[in-house]
Amino acid sequence: MNGALPTTIIVAGLALAGYALLLTALNRRMGAILLGALGVLEILLLVLVGMIVARLIGGGHPADLAVLIGYLIGIPLIPVAAAFWGALERSRWGPAVAAVAGLVAAVLMVRLHQIWPVIHV
Amino acid sequence: MSEPKALPEPSATQPTSTRTGPGRLLVAIYGLFALAASSRAGVQIATKFHHAPVAYVLSAFAGVVYIIATVTLTAGSPTARRIAVVSCSVELVGVLAVGTWSVLDPASFPDATVWSDYGIGYGFVPLVLPVFGLLWLRYWAKRDKTGASAA
Repeated sequence: MNGALPTTIIVAGLALAGYALLLTALNRRMGAILLGALGVLEILLLVLVGMIVARLIGGGHPADLAVLIGYLIGIPLIPVAAAFWGALERSRWGPAVAAVAGLVAAVLMVRLHQIWPVIHV
Repeated sequence: MSEPKALPEPSATQPTSTRTGPGRLLVAIYGLFALAASSRAGVQIATKFHHAPVAYVLSAFAGVVYIIATVTLTAGSPTARRIAVVSCSVELVGVLAVGTWSVLDPASFPDATVWSDYGIGYGFVPLVLPVFGLLWLRYWAKRDKTGASAA
């Protein structure tokens, strides 16, 4: 599995976090662009989860399957949860929630690589 | 003589509960840690408890503390806030105690907990989170007091 998608997710997550923190600094609330960016991040994560599942079905053996499956379930929830929780907020703290989601997505790519080194970054 | 325009009433911009305003971010991060710590501990205890029992039990304890903080900060009633003060205090003491313990006696921790080395594996977020939690709760306690004296 080449590292293009996880690397894209890291870049996208960090860019999303940067934009969201800018909105927080400028005292803006969550808008359509940020929600759209969370949607793009969600799609990228779902594609990655699909690729990893395909690899598992194809006979891959991570050292710790239970942990990997936990991550595969948890990862797609992050942008969705941030979008709902952040959109409920009418202040600058909504984008701050989205920033956390972007940062967490980036960090989780590194964690996935540690759990199963065939997932390159 | 014209005066500068008055700022909007502070009450119009003030958060309305412990889960809004800065609390929105706090609850999000607490929820994330509740999920991460408790599911990690669950998997570890279920699959390899004897490898590092101390670390896994402490991870599970941390998970419970995070769950309590998430729920009580979301609820925000006076009782919930009192419980939240206790759980954030336990969390702060926990991260300091387990952090120190893991530095002094690494042999007890063949596998890391959320609080090992003061939460270094999680960017020290576990160390600063209870501080912000307690500050946020103190802000609410103060607001209660001024509100009560004004009424």
